[in-house]
Amino acid sequence: MLSPVKIWRNQKYIAKRLNRTGKILSWSFVRVPPEGFSEQAPYFIAIVALSKSERICTQVVDVVKTIAIGQKVKTVLRRTIDVSHDGVIPYGIKVKQL
Amino acid sequence: MNIAIQGTGMTQFGERWGLSPRALARDAVQQAIADARIEKKHIQAMYVANMLSGMLGMQGHLGALFAEELGLSIPAYTIEGACASGGLALHTACLSILSGEYETVLVLGVEKMTDHKPEQVSSALMGAGSNEERLAGATFPALYAMLARSHMDTYGTTEKDFASVAVKNHFHASLNPKAQYQKVLSLEQILHSPYVADPLKLLDCSPVTDGAAAVILSKKTTSHGAKIVASQVATDTLGLAERKSLTTLVATAQASQKAISQAGISLSDVDVVEIHDCFTIAEILALEDIGFTKKGEAGDLVTRDAFTLGKAKRTVVNTSGGLKGCGHPVGATGVKQLVEIADQLRGRCAHRQIHDAAVGMTHNVGGTGATVVVHIVKKE
Repeated sequence: MLSPVKIWRNQKYIAKRLNRTGKILSWSFVRVPPEGFSEQAPYFIAIVALSKSERICTQVVDVVKTIAIGQKVKTVLRRTIDVSHDGVIPYGIKVKQL
Repeated sequence: MNIAIQGTGMTQFGERWGLSPRALARDAVQQAIADARIEKKHIQAMYVANMLSGMLGMQGHLGALFAEELGLSIPAYTIEGACASGGLALHTACLSILSGEYETVLVLGVEKMTDHKPEQVSSALMGAGSNEERLAGATFPALYAMLARSHMDTYGTTEKDFASVAVKNHFHASLNPKAQYQKVLSLEQILHSPYVADPLKLLDCSPVTDGAAAVILSKKTTSHGAKIVASQVATDTLGLAERKSLTTLVATAQASQKAISQAGISLSDVDVVEIHDCFTIAEILALEDIGFTKKGEAGDLVTRDAFTLGKAKRTVVNTSGGLKGCGHPVGATGVKQLVEIADQLRGRCAHRQIHDAAVGMTHNVGGTGATVVVHIVKKE
Protein backbone atom coordinates (compact mmCIF):
# COMPACT_ATOMS: atom_id res chain seq x y z
CA MET A 1 0.00 0.00 0.00
CA LEU A 2 1.28 3.44 -0.93
CA SER A 3 0.54 5.46 2.21
CA PRO A 4 0.77 9.28 2.29
CA VAL A 5 3.64 8.95 4.78
CA LYS A 6 5.60 6.75 2.40
CA ILE A 7 4.99 9.20 -0.45
CA TRP A 8 6.25 12.04 1.77
CA ARG A 9 9.32 10.05 2.86
CA ASN A 10 10.28 9.38 -0.76
CA GLN A 11 10.39 13.08 -1.68
CA LYS A 12 14.09 13.38 -0.78
CA TYR A 13 15.03 10.66 -3.27
CA ILE A 14 13.06 12.40 -6.00
CA ALA A 15 14.87 15.71 -5.48
CA LYS A 16 18.28 14.02 -5.85
CA ARG A 17 17.33 12.59 -9.21
CA LEU A 18 15.82 15.59 -10.92
CA ASN A 19 17.60 17.35 -13.78
CA ARG A 20 19.92 14.43 -14.52
CA THR A 21 20.91 12.80 -17.78
CA GLY A 22 21.51 9.13 -18.42
CA LYS A 23 21.68 6.28 -20.89
CA ILE A 24 19.27 3.39 -21.56
CA LEU A 25 20.83 0.01 -20.68
CA SER A 26 17.81 -2.15 -21.48
CA TRP A 27 14.09 -1.65 -22.03
CA SER A 28 10.71 -3.24 -22.54
CA PHE A 29 7.23 -2.18 -23.62
CA VAL A 30 4.60 -3.08 -21.01
CA ARG A 31 1.32 -4.04 -22.66
CA VAL A 32 -0.25 -5.80 -19.65
CA PRO A 33 0.11 -3.50 -16.62
CA PRO A 34 -0.23 -4.20 -12.90
CA GLU A 35 -2.98 -2.61 -10.77
CA GLY A 36 -2.86 1.18 -10.72
CA PHE A 37 -1.26 1.57 -14.16
CA SER A 38 -4.05 0.65 -16.57
CA GLU A 39 -4.62 4.30 -17.62
CA GLN A 40 -0.99 4.61 -18.69
CA ALA A 41 -0.61 1.30 -20.56
CA PRO A 42 0.98 0.50 -22.86
CA TYR A 43 4.20 2.20 -21.77
CA PHE A 44 7.98 1.94 -22.13
CA ILE A 45 10.08 0.91 -19.15
CA ALA A 46 13.88 0.93 -18.91
CA ILE A 47 16.96 0.44 -16.79
CA VAL A 48 18.81 3.75 -17.04
CA ALA A 49 22.37 4.54 -15.95
CA LEU A 50 22.54 8.05 -14.46
CA SER A 51 26.22 7.59 -13.61
CA LYS A 52 28.69 4.70 -13.37
CA SER A 53 27.32 3.59 -10.04
CA GLU A 54 23.74 4.88 -10.13
CA ARG A 55 21.09 3.03 -12.11
CA ILE A 56 17.33 3.30 -11.95
CA CYS A 57 14.32 1.36 -13.19
CA THR A 58 11.86 3.84 -14.62
CA GLN A 59 9.25 4.62 -17.28
CA VAL A 60 10.26 6.35 -20.50
CA VAL A 61 7.64 8.97 -21.46
CA ASP A 62 6.93 11.11 -24.53
CA VAL A 63 8.64 8.51 -26.68
CA VAL A 64 9.19 9.42 -30.31
CA LYS A 65 8.61 6.22 -32.34
CA THR A 66 10.62 3.77 -30.23
CA ILE A 67 13.61 3.58 -27.92
CA ALA A 68 16.93 1.75 -28.10
CA ILE A 69 19.79 0.60 -25.88
CA GLY A 70 22.37 3.38 -25.62
CA GLN A 71 19.93 6.28 -26.16
CA LYS A 72 20.45 9.39 -24.03
CA VAL A 73 17.64 10.44 -21.70
CA LYS A 74 16.92 13.08 -19.03
CA THR A 75 14.96 12.75 -15.81
CA VAL A 76 11.55 14.44 -15.41
CA LEU A 77 8.94 14.66 -12.63
CA ARG A 78 5.72 12.77 -13.43
CA ARG A 79 2.77 11.15 -11.71
CA THR A 80 3.63 7.50 -11.11
CA ILE A 81 0.69 5.34 -9.97
CA ASP A 82 -3.07 6.05 -9.72
CA VAL A 83 -4.12 8.41 -6.93
CA SER A 84 -4.31 6.61 -3.57
CA HIS A 85 -7.45 6.19 -1.44
CA ASP A 86 -6.22 9.09 0.68
CA GLY A 87 -6.24 11.38 -2.35
CA VAL A 88 -2.50 11.99 -2.46
CA ILE A 89 -1.10 12.13 -6.00
CA PRO A 90 2.16 10.14 -6.08
CA TYR A 91 4.91 11.79 -8.12
CA GLY A 92 8.22 10.25 -9.08
CA ILE A 93 11.05 10.18 -11.57
CA LYS A 94 10.55 9.16 -15.19
CA VAL A 95 12.81 9.84 -18.15
CA LYS A 96 12.36 11.23 -21.66
CA GLN A 97 14.58 11.01 -24.70
CA LEU A 98 17.08 13.81 -25.22
CA MET B 1 24.90 -33.54 3.68
CA ASN B 2 22.84 -36.70 3.58
CA ILE B 3 19.12 -36.25 4.08
CA ALA B 4 16.66 -38.89 2.96
CA ILE B 5 13.67 -37.99 0.82
CA GLN B 6 11.23 -40.27 2.58
CA GLY B 7 8.13 -39.45 0.55
CA THR B 8 6.76 -37.00 -2.01
CA GLY B 9 3.37 -35.82 -3.21
CA MET B 10 1.87 -33.19 -5.45
CA THR B 11 -1.56 -32.16 -6.62
CA GLN B 12 -2.68 -31.78 -10.17
CA PHE B 13 -1.45 -28.31 -11.20
CA GLY B 14 -3.82 -25.92 -12.98
CA GLU B 15 -6.94 -23.81 -12.47
CA ARG B 16 -8.31 -25.57 -9.41
CA TRP B 17 -11.32 -23.33 -8.78
CA GLY B 18 -13.16 -26.03 -6.83
CA LEU B 19 -10.40 -26.48 -4.27
CA SER B 20 -9.28 -24.33 -1.33
CA PRO B 21 -5.65 -23.97 -0.23
CA ARG B 22 -6.51 -26.35 2.63
CA ALA B 23 -7.81 -28.98 0.19
CA LEU B 24 -4.76 -28.63 -2.06
CA ALA B 25 -2.43 -29.01 0.94
CA ARG B 26 -4.32 -32.04 2.26
CA ASP B 27 -4.07 -33.78 -1.11
CA ALA B 28 -0.30 -33.24 -1.48
CA VAL B 29 0.50 -34.13 2.15
CA GLN B 30 -1.63 -37.29 2.17
CA GLN B 31 0.23 -38.51 -0.92
CA ALA B 32 3.61 -37.75 0.71
CA ILE B 33 2.68 -39.52 3.96
CA ALA B 34 1.44 -42.60 2.09
CA ASP B 35 4.58 -42.63 -0.05
CA ALA B 36 6.83 -42.29 3.02
CA ARG B 37 5.06 -45.22 4.67
CA ILE B 38 4.96 -43.40 7.99
CA GLU B 39 2.13 -42.29 10.21
CA LYS B 40 1.17 -38.64 10.54
CA LYS B 41 2.26 -38.65 14.20
CA HIS B 42 5.88 -39.22 13.17
CA ILE B 43 6.11 -35.73 11.62
CA GLN B 44 7.89 -33.54 14.16
CA ALA B 45 7.89 -30.14 12.43
CA MET B 46 6.45 -28.51 9.35
CA TYR B 47 7.72 -25.84 6.94
CA VAL B 48 5.14 -24.12 4.77
CA ALA B 49 6.32 -22.35 1.62
CA ASN B 50 4.00 -19.65 0.30
CA MET B 51 4.31 -16.18 -1.18
CA LEU B 52 0.89 -14.66 -1.94
CA SER B 53 -1.61 -15.84 0.69
CA GLY B 54 -1.20 -12.70 2.81
CA MET B 55 -1.55 -10.33 -0.14
CA LEU B 56 -4.23 -12.10 -2.21
CA GLY B 57 -6.13 -14.22 0.30
CA MET B 58 -5.61 -11.95 3.36
CA GLN B 59 -4.51 -15.08 5.21
CA GLY B 60 -1.25 -15.12 7.12
CA HIS B 61 -0.17 -17.49 9.91
CA LEU B 62 0.04 -20.44 7.51
CA GLY B 63 2.18 -22.64 9.76
CA ALA B 64 -0.58 -22.93 12.35
CA LEU B 65 -3.30 -23.02 9.68
CA PHE B 66 -1.95 -26.05 7.85
CA ALA B 67 -0.90 -27.81 11.06
CA GLU B 68 -4.53 -27.47 12.15
CA GLU B 69 -5.76 -28.74 8.78
CA LEU B 70 -3.55 -31.82 9.05
CA GLY B 71 -4.60 -32.43 12.64
CA LEU B 72 -1.09 -31.90 13.95
CA SER B 73 0.07 -29.86 16.91
CA ILE B 74 3.74 -29.49 16.05
CA PRO B 75 6.18 -26.60 15.46
CA ALA B 76 5.13 -25.09 12.11
CA TYR B 77 6.67 -22.22 10.19
CA THR B 78 5.92 -20.15 7.09
CA ILE B 79 8.90 -19.52 4.81
CA GLU B 80 8.67 -16.73 2.24
CA GLY B 81 11.27 -16.02 -0.42
CA ALA B 82 9.05 -15.02 -3.36
CA CYS B 83 9.09 -17.75 -6.02
CA ALA B 84 12.03 -19.39 -4.19
CA SER B 85 9.88 -19.96 -1.07
CA GLY B 86 9.76 -23.70 -1.78
CA GLY B 87 13.51 -24.05 -2.11
CA LEU B 88 14.07 -21.94 1.00
CA ALA B 89 11.63 -24.06 3.01
CA LEU B 90 13.46 -27.22 1.91
CA HIS B 91 16.78 -25.63 2.88
CA THR B 92 15.41 -24.64 6.29
CA ALA B 93 13.99 -28.14 6.81
CA CYS B 94 17.38 -29.68 5.96
CA LEU B 95 19.06 -27.41 8.53
CA SER B 96 16.53 -28.41 11.18
CA ILE B 97 17.40 -32.08 10.64
CA LEU B 98 21.14 -31.35 10.60
CA SER B 99 20.75 -29.47 13.89
CA GLY B 100 19.75 -32.75 15.49
CA GLU B 101 16.45 -31.35 16.76
CA TYR B 102 14.18 -33.37 14.42
CA GLU B 103 14.33 -36.70 12.64
CA THR B 104 11.32 -36.38 10.34
CA VAL B 105 9.89 -33.14 8.97
CA LEU B 106 7.32 -32.09 6.39
CA VAL B 107 7.84 -29.41 3.74
CA LEU B 108 4.65 -28.15 2.13
CA GLY B 109 4.56 -25.68 -0.76
CA VAL B 110 1.14 -24.29 -1.58
CA GLU B 111 -0.22 -21.44 -3.68
CA LYS B 112 -3.71 -20.39 -4.80
CA MET B 113 -3.46 -17.86 -7.61
CA THR B 114 -6.39 -18.25 -10.02
CA ASP B 115 -9.06 -17.00 -7.57
CA HIS B 116 -7.93 -13.45 -8.28
CA LYS B 117 -7.93 -10.95 -11.15
CA PRO B 118 -4.79 -11.02 -13.34
CA GLU B 119 -3.76 -7.43 -12.51
CA GLN B 120 -4.09 -8.20 -8.78
CA VAL B 121 -1.90 -11.29 -9.15
CA SER B 122 0.56 -9.28 -11.21
CA SER B 123 0.75 -6.56 -8.54
CA ALA B 124 1.08 -9.08 -5.71
CA LEU B 125 3.93 -10.86 -7.52
CA MET B 126 5.70 -7.49 -7.73
CA GLY B 127 6.09 -7.84 -3.96
CA ALA B 128 9.20 -9.79 -4.98
CA GLY B 129 10.71 -6.73 -6.68
CA SER B 130 11.98 -3.38 -5.44
CA ASN B 131 9.86 -0.36 -4.51
CA GLU B 132 11.34 1.55 -7.44
CA GLU B 133 10.27 -1.21 -9.84
CA ARG B 134 6.73 -1.16 -8.45
CA LEU B 135 6.46 2.63 -8.85
CA ALA B 136 7.71 2.35 -12.44
CA GLY B 137 4.79 0.03 -13.25
CA ALA B 138 7.13 -2.88 -13.88
CA THR B 139 5.74 -6.40 -14.04
CA PHE B 140 7.76 -9.61 -13.84
CA PRO B 141 7.37 -10.18 -17.57
CA ALA B 142 8.78 -6.66 -18.10
CA LEU B 143 11.75 -7.21 -15.78
CA TYR B 144 12.67 -10.50 -17.46
CA ALA B 145 12.04 -8.82 -20.82
CA MET B 146 14.80 -6.34 -19.98
CA LEU B 147 17.13 -9.24 -19.14
CA ALA B 148 16.09 -10.84 -22.46
CA ARG B 149 16.77 -7.70 -24.48
CA SER B 150 20.16 -7.27 -22.85
CA HIS B 151 21.01 -10.91 -23.68
CA MET B 152 19.91 -10.41 -27.31
CA ASP B 153 22.00 -7.24 -27.54
CA THR B 154 25.11 -8.82 -25.99
CA TYR B 155 25.05 -12.35 -27.44
CA GLY B 156 22.75 -12.20 -30.46
CA THR B 157 20.16 -14.45 -28.80
CA THR B 158 16.89 -14.46 -30.77
CA GLU B 159 13.16 -14.65 -30.06
CA LYS B 160 13.27 -18.05 -31.77
CA ASP B 161 15.81 -19.21 -29.16
CA PHE B 162 13.39 -18.14 -26.41
CA ALA B 163 10.50 -19.92 -28.15
CA SER B 164 12.57 -23.13 -28.37
CA VAL B 165 12.68 -23.31 -24.58
CA ALA B 166 8.87 -23.24 -24.51
CA VAL B 167 8.64 -25.89 -27.25
CA LYS B 168 10.88 -28.25 -25.25
CA ASN B 169 9.15 -27.68 -21.92
CA HIS B 170 5.65 -28.07 -23.37
CA PHE B 171 6.78 -31.31 -25.02
CA HIS B 172 7.91 -32.57 -21.60
CA ALA B 173 4.66 -31.30 -20.00
CA SER B 174 2.69 -33.29 -22.57
CA LEU B 175 4.14 -36.41 -20.91
CA ASN B 176 3.30 -35.31 -17.35
CA PRO B 177 -0.25 -36.14 -16.21
CA LYS B 178 -0.04 -33.57 -13.40
CA ALA B 179 1.03 -30.67 -15.63
CA GLN B 180 -1.23 -27.67 -16.21
CA TYR B 181 -0.72 -27.76 -20.00
CA GLN B 182 -0.36 -31.30 -21.27
CA LYS B 183 -0.05 -30.28 -24.87
CA VAL B 184 2.68 -29.78 -27.41
CA LEU B 185 3.15 -26.26 -28.77
CA SER B 186 4.85 -25.50 -32.07
CA LEU B 187 7.56 -22.90 -32.57
CA GLU B 188 5.14 -20.94 -34.80
CA GLN B 189 2.38 -20.93 -32.17
CA ILE B 190 4.78 -19.46 -29.62
CA LEU B 191 6.31 -16.94 -32.02
CA HIS B 192 2.83 -15.78 -33.08
CA SER B 193 1.47 -15.32 -29.58
CA PRO B 194 0.91 -11.68 -28.57
CA TYR B 195 3.62 -9.61 -26.88
CA VAL B 196 3.13 -9.12 -23.14
CA ALA B 197 6.30 -7.12 -22.49
CA ASP B 198 8.49 -6.94 -25.60
CA PRO B 199 10.47 -9.02 -26.51
CA LEU B 200 8.59 -11.56 -24.34
CA LYS B 201 5.31 -12.96 -25.63
CA LEU B 202 2.44 -14.64 -23.84
CA LEU B 203 3.85 -18.11 -24.53
CA ASP B 204 7.31 -17.12 -23.23
CA CYS B 205 5.70 -16.73 -19.79
CA SER B 206 4.87 -19.35 -17.18
CA PRO B 207 1.17 -19.41 -16.26
CA VAL B 208 -0.81 -18.50 -13.15
CA THR B 209 -1.40 -21.77 -11.30
CA ASP B 210 -3.01 -23.36 -8.26
CA GLY B 211 -1.19 -26.29 -6.71
CA ALA B 212 0.61 -27.85 -3.79
CA ALA B 213 3.60 -30.13 -3.37
CA ALA B 214 4.87 -31.90 -0.26
CA VAL B 215 8.06 -33.69 0.73
CA ILE B 216 8.86 -35.66 3.88
CA LEU B 217 12.53 -35.46 4.80
CA SER B 218 14.23 -37.71 7.29
CA LYS B 219 17.64 -38.24 8.78
CA LYS B 220 17.29 -42.02 8.32
CA THR B 221 19.96 -43.42 6.05
CA THR B 222 17.63 -45.96 4.46
CA SER B 223 15.48 -43.69 2.35
CA HIS B 224 13.06 -44.62 -0.37
CA GLY B 225 15.53 -44.17 -3.19
CA ALA B 226 16.72 -40.56 -3.13
CA LYS B 227 18.71 -38.34 -0.80
CA ILE B 228 19.59 -34.64 -0.71
CA VAL B 229 23.37 -34.25 -0.77
CA ALA B 230 23.59 -30.46 -1.16
CA SER B 231 21.39 -27.49 -0.29
CA GLN B 232 22.63 -23.95 -0.93
CA VAL B 233 21.16 -20.45 -0.97
CA ALA B 234 22.50 -17.19 -2.43
CA THR B 235 21.03 -13.69 -2.56
CA ASP B 236 21.48 -10.58 -4.68
CA THR B 237 19.92 -7.11 -4.88
CA LEU B 238 16.12 -7.03 -5.00
CA GLY B 239 16.02 -4.70 -7.98
CA LEU B 240 17.53 -5.25 -11.41
CA ALA B 241 18.87 -1.70 -11.62
CA GLU B 242 21.32 -2.32 -8.77
CA ARG B 243 22.99 -5.25 -10.58
CA LYS B 244 26.35 -4.96 -12.31
CA SER B 245 25.25 -7.27 -15.12
CA LEU B 246 21.91 -7.68 -16.90
CA THR B 247 22.98 -10.89 -18.64
CA THR B 248 23.97 -12.99 -15.61
CA LEU B 249 22.14 -13.88 -12.41
CA VAL B 250 25.09 -13.92 -10.01
CA ALA B 251 23.11 -15.68 -7.26
CA THR B 252 22.48 -18.63 -9.62
CA ALA B 253 26.21 -19.00 -10.26
CA GLN B 254 27.03 -18.70 -6.54
CA ALA B 255 24.40 -21.12 -5.23
CA SER B 256 25.08 -23.74 -7.90
CA GLN B 257 28.86 -23.62 -7.48
CA LYS B 258 28.52 -24.02 -3.71
CA ALA B 259 26.06 -26.90 -4.14
CA ILE B 260 28.28 -28.74 -6.63
CA SER B 261 31.21 -28.38 -4.29
CA GLN B 262 29.14 -29.53 -1.30
CA ALA B 263 27.90 -32.60 -3.21
CA GLY B 264 31.40 -33.45 -4.41
CA ILE B 265 30.23 -33.96 -7.98
CA SER B 266 30.98 -32.31 -11.29
CA LEU B 267 28.29 -30.69 -13.41
CA SER B 268 28.65 -33.37 -16.07
CA ASP B 269 27.41 -35.94 -13.51
CA VAL B 270 23.96 -34.33 -13.48
CA ASP B 271 21.44 -36.47 -15.39
CA VAL B 272 18.38 -34.32 -14.83
CA VAL B 273 17.78 -30.77 -13.66
CA GLU B 274 14.66 -28.77 -12.91
CA ILE B 275 15.47 -25.18 -13.86
CA HIS B 276 13.40 -22.15 -12.83
CA ASP B 277 11.96 -21.20 -16.23
CA CYS B 278 9.42 -18.60 -15.08
CA PHE B 279 10.14 -17.06 -18.50
CA THR B 280 11.96 -18.66 -21.41
CA ILE B 281 14.91 -16.26 -21.00
CA ALA B 282 15.23 -17.47 -17.39
CA GLU B 283 16.10 -21.00 -18.53
CA ILE B 284 18.70 -19.66 -20.97
CA LEU B 285 20.28 -17.52 -18.24
CA ALA B 286 20.32 -20.44 -15.80
CA LEU B 287 21.83 -22.93 -18.26
CA GLU B 288 24.70 -20.49 -18.74
CA ASP B 289 25.04 -19.26 -15.15
CA ILE B 290 25.05 -22.78 -13.67
CA GLY B 291 27.61 -23.72 -16.32
CA PHE B 292 25.80 -26.26 -18.51
CA THR B 293 26.82 -24.09 -21.48
CA LYS B 294 29.19 -21.22 -22.15
CA LYS B 295 27.78 -17.69 -21.89
CA GLY B 296 25.73 -16.84 -24.94
CA GLU B 297 25.43 -20.42 -26.24
CA ALA B 298 22.38 -21.77 -24.40
CA GLY B 299 19.77 -20.47 -26.86
CA ASP B 300 21.39 -22.15 -29.83
CA LEU B 301 21.84 -25.43 -27.92
CA VAL B 302 18.20 -25.52 -26.77
CA THR B 303 17.16 -24.94 -30.39
CA ARG B 304 19.22 -27.99 -31.36
CA ASP B 305 17.46 -30.18 -28.72
CA ALA B 306 20.58 -30.50 -26.54
CA PHE B 307 18.44 -30.68 -23.36
CA THR B 308 15.34 -32.48 -24.67
CA LEU B 309 14.13 -35.85 -23.41
CA GLY B 310 15.19 -38.63 -25.77
CA LYS B 311 17.57 -36.35 -27.66
CA ALA B 312 19.94 -34.91 -25.05
CA LYS B 313 23.40 -36.46 -24.96
CA ARG B 314 23.80 -35.62 -21.29
CA THR B 315 21.61 -33.54 -18.94
CA VAL B 316 17.86 -33.35 -19.59
CA VAL B 317 16.28 -30.06 -18.49
CA ASN B 318 12.80 -29.68 -16.98
CA THR B 319 11.27 -33.13 -17.49
CA SER B 320 8.21 -32.02 -15.49
CA GLY B 321 7.49 -29.42 -18.15
CA GLY B 322 9.12 -26.78 -15.96
CA LEU B 323 7.26 -23.77 -14.66
CA LYS B 324 6.31 -23.06 -18.26
CA GLY B 325 4.40 -26.26 -19.03
CA CYS B 326 3.75 -27.86 -15.64
CA GLY B 327 2.64 -24.57 -14.09
CA HIS B 328 3.96 -22.15 -11.50
CA PRO B 329 2.08 -21.97 -8.18
CA VAL B 330 4.84 -19.72 -6.91
CA GLY B 331 5.27 -20.93 -3.31
CA ALA B 332 4.89 -24.58 -4.32
CA THR B 333 7.31 -24.54 -7.26
CA GLY B 334 10.56 -25.17 -5.38
CA VAL B 335 9.03 -28.16 -3.58
CA LYS B 336 7.53 -29.52 -6.81
CA GLN B 337 10.98 -29.36 -8.46
CA LEU B 338 12.34 -31.67 -5.76
CA VAL B 339 9.34 -33.98 -6.16
CA GLU B 340 10.09 -34.30 -9.89
CA ILE B 341 13.80 -34.99 -9.34
CA ALA B 342 13.10 -37.57 -6.61
CA ASP B 343 10.55 -39.25 -8.90
CA GLN B 344 13.11 -39.37 -11.73
CA LEU B 345 15.76 -40.93 -9.49
CA ARG B 346 13.22 -43.44 -8.17
CA GLY B 347 12.16 -44.39 -11.71
CA ARG B 348 8.55 -43.27 -11.26
CA CYS B 349 8.18 -40.90 -14.22
CA ALA B 350 6.62 -43.32 -16.75
CA HIS B 351 6.64 -41.75 -20.23
CA ARG B 352 9.06 -38.98 -19.28
CA GLN B 353 11.45 -41.25 -17.34
CA ILE B 354 15.17 -40.80 -17.96
CA HIS B 355 16.92 -44.15 -18.15
CA ASP B 356 19.14 -44.80 -15.12
CA ALA B 357 19.03 -41.26 -13.73
CA ALA B 358 21.39 -41.16 -10.72
CA VAL B 359 22.10 -37.47 -10.02
CA GLY B 360 19.57 -34.62 -10.14
CA MET B 361 19.52 -30.91 -9.41
CA THR B 362 16.90 -28.24 -8.68
CA HIS B 363 17.30 -24.52 -9.35
CA ASN B 364 14.71 -22.26 -7.72
CA VAL B 365 14.70 -18.47 -8.20
CA GLY B 366 12.94 -15.71 -6.26
CA GLY B 367 12.27 -12.41 -8.02
CA THR B 368 14.72 -11.65 -10.80
CA GLY B 369 17.44 -13.64 -9.04
CA ALA B 370 17.44 -11.93 -5.63
CA THR B 371 17.16 -15.37 -4.03
CA VAL B 372 18.41 -18.58 -5.62
CA VAL B 373 18.24 -22.01 -4.00
CA VAL B 374 19.98 -25.06 -5.46
CA HIS B 375 19.58 -28.65 -4.30
CA ILE B 376 21.47 -31.71 -5.50
CA VAL B 377 19.88 -35.14 -5.11
CA LYS B 378 21.43 -38.56 -5.52
CA LYS B 379 19.87 -41.93 -6.10
CA GLU B 380 20.32 -44.33 -3.20
